[in-house]
Amino acid sequence: MTDIRFYLILFAAAGLFSLLPLGLGDYHLHVMIVSLYYLMMASSWNLLAGYTGQVSFAHAAFAGIGAYTSGILAVKFGVNPWAGVIIGTAAASLLGLGVGVLCLRMGGIYLSLTTLGFSEILRIVITNEYDITRGTMGLQVPGLVEEYSKAAYFYIMLGAAMITLIVLYKLIYSNKGLCFRAVQNDERAAASLGVDVVKVRVLAFTVSSALAGLAGGLYGHYLHLITPEIPSLDQQFLVLSMTVIGGMGSFLGPVIGAFSLEILSEYIRAYGEYHVLVFGLIALVVARFAPNGLMGLAASRLPGGPAPAVTVPSTGKS
Amino acid sequence: MRGKKMSIRVLVLVLGLAFAVGSAWAQETIKVGVVGPRTGTAAATGKAFEEGIKLATDYVNAKGGVLGKKLEIVFEDTAGAPDKAASGFERLVTRDKVVMVLGESHSSSALAEIEVAERFKVPFIVVEAWADPITAKNYKHVFRAGPSNSGVVNETIAKWVVHEKFKKAFIVAENTDWGLGIAELTKAALTKAGVQFDFLVTERQSQDHYTELSKIKAYDPDVVLAYVYGTGLHYFVAQAGEVKLMPKAVVLDGAGPPSLWPDYWKNVGDAGDLECFVSSMHEKVELTPLATEFREAYVKAFGGPPTDYKSRSIYDSILIAADAINRAGSTDSDKLVDALEKTNLLVTRGTVKFGTEKGGPGYHQWDPPMLVVQWQKRQQVVLYPPEAATGKLMR
Repeated sequence: MTDIRFYLILFAAAGLFSLLPLGLGDYHLHVMIVSLYYLMMASSWNLLAGYTGQVSFAHAAFAGIGAYTSGILAVKFGVNPWAGVIIGTAAASLLGLGVGVLCLRMGGIYLSLTTLGFSEILRIVITNEYDITRGTMGLQVPGLVEEYSKAAYFYIMLGAAMITLIVLYKLIYSNKGLCFRAVQNDERAAASLGVDVVKVRVLAFTVSSALAGLAGGLYGHYLHLITPEIPSLDQQFLVLSMTVIGGMGSFLGPVIGAFSLEILSEYIRAYGEYHVLVFGLIALVVARFAPNGLMGLAASRLPGGPAPAVTVPSTGKS
Repeated sequence: MRGKKMSIRVLVLVLGLAFAVGSAWAQETIKVGVVGPRTGTAAATGKAFEEGIKLATDYVNAKGGVLGKKLEIVFEDTAGAPDKAASGFERLVTRDKVVMVLGESHSSSALAEIEVAERFKVPFIVVEAWADPITAKNYKHVFRAGPSNSGVVNETIAKWVVHEKFKKAFIVAENTDWGLGIAELTKAALTKAGVQFDFLVTERQSQDHYTELSKIKAYDPDVVLAYVYGTGLHYFVAQAGEVKLMPKAVVLDGAGPPSLWPDYWKNVGDAGDLECFVSSMHEKVELTPLATEFREAYVKAFGGPPTDYKSRSIYDSILIAADAINRAGSTDSDKLVDALEKTNLLVTRGTVKFGTEKGGPGYHQWDPPMLVVQWQKRQQVVLYPPEAATGKLMR
């Protein structure tokens, strides 16, 4: 895809989206805002899992770090929520860098296990340090705008989603992006050609964590309430399902996955906790019949349609 | 032939559906939302709410409904989690277009929901979330027709502790807005009453209370005030029995309903006998004719007497809502708030009148009378207040 084509499509889509508040009520706008949050989460996780083959289970945890950093700063120190979101994003990227440096030499399943542990430790700390975080009681935080309006939050999330997609596009379709895919396809071959494998992985991990922190910070202030649900493994697996069902390793896959699963989840919410089961079944069916997700399916059905950049990567490389 | 049969079936189905949808359109209703935990560790509260909702809607609709239309309740699950509670509340308002919301049984969830109620300007009657800040924030659209922490502590629990002449108390509270709030109020009340006490916090979802129990046993209290909600209370009582905390100490379930849930005896076994709990319901203490009517309707509908008093709490709140909508003559938010402020209605627990003086938790608050009840040979015996007592404390 050329740059011009990408920006044309992005701005045309954003233009169409920006008309939505004219026709949608509060409830449907809320669904769109949540979908945009998941779009940011799934797309940035896709940078890790889909383009560099690193399956991290700490992505929701980094969203939690963004949300809690910004929320605690606003509640305890009266910091402006916008500044809080920026600091939260920085905190998530710093922690991402730290975790990245510590465990990216491991790779493969070991990276997954370490990030799983990190995520669980974070949850336990947040739950037990209720003097600061209010634990499961939830931290009530101020909003980003003076006068509460769904349309305002919709435009904020739309803007942030566009920034996320532009950052990802710039990275993926740059020389660095080429290195990402080289590392994913064959680490040793890439290393033999002079690619610094660990550096490439740390870069992807840091950028992805920062974007998750940004998404989490904005989402927390939109909800006015931050709970340990944001950094939970439930959320992590939801983001994972969205990416896999949409099409891991394709630029548009997580976008499609985020919207389709969030809208679907609103429809099947009436079935309570069974909606998690339905998600699991859909993920299984997609994995069996469309291993490259909905985007892969579209590519195979429509000749000349968008093709995913790669097939689903194996996670067992070391 | 087979294809023709199939077409006829499809046609009948489509016509049936069209008819169903058509009649649903024709029969307009006024929607009121209910929020409460239908899943999670306090799912039994959701069940009690469902029972109360059924009886109350039957009662209201048999008396002509609201504004000449049928009253319809939309019940949204909160799973006892503040984030799900807030989004569920918002969904009721924005998707289901309810005119008022009632319910809730967790203070942390209610504190998240009152923000949404205020933001969307929708009247919200909190039923069984006790934390003082819910009404102390003095929000225009937030009412509470149910116990408040300060009411329960100052009018019932602390007075009962003094009445039974307990000298040493141990307060154990879960880390929630309700648990921490009620513990602080209890500490203040016991200090004032000159009762010696110690205190510790426990994790809401903990299934293992042995560490806490060994500390409590070492303190050797006369009474343990357990502010633990959900099935956590069952674990606490069963394990207290195992470490032989009783009979030296009496355990009071400071929330009430968990001691009345159907799986209470299965979970706690013999350790459950002689346990005390607070409640707003007892079959021998019926304060109004409506309380008797409620019990009779309950037995008729569900084949046995009501257990969890929260079925009756939500029943009352639906009656309060219906009365306010009818008096307001409109579903306009300001008019509903105005009508609620002027409520003077006899329900199962007494006459409801909301406080209107700002500045404290008494604003938009109505406290129903509470009882302290003890399980004695699996029978409920009222211990406090003395004028309602049906027996004496056993150890």
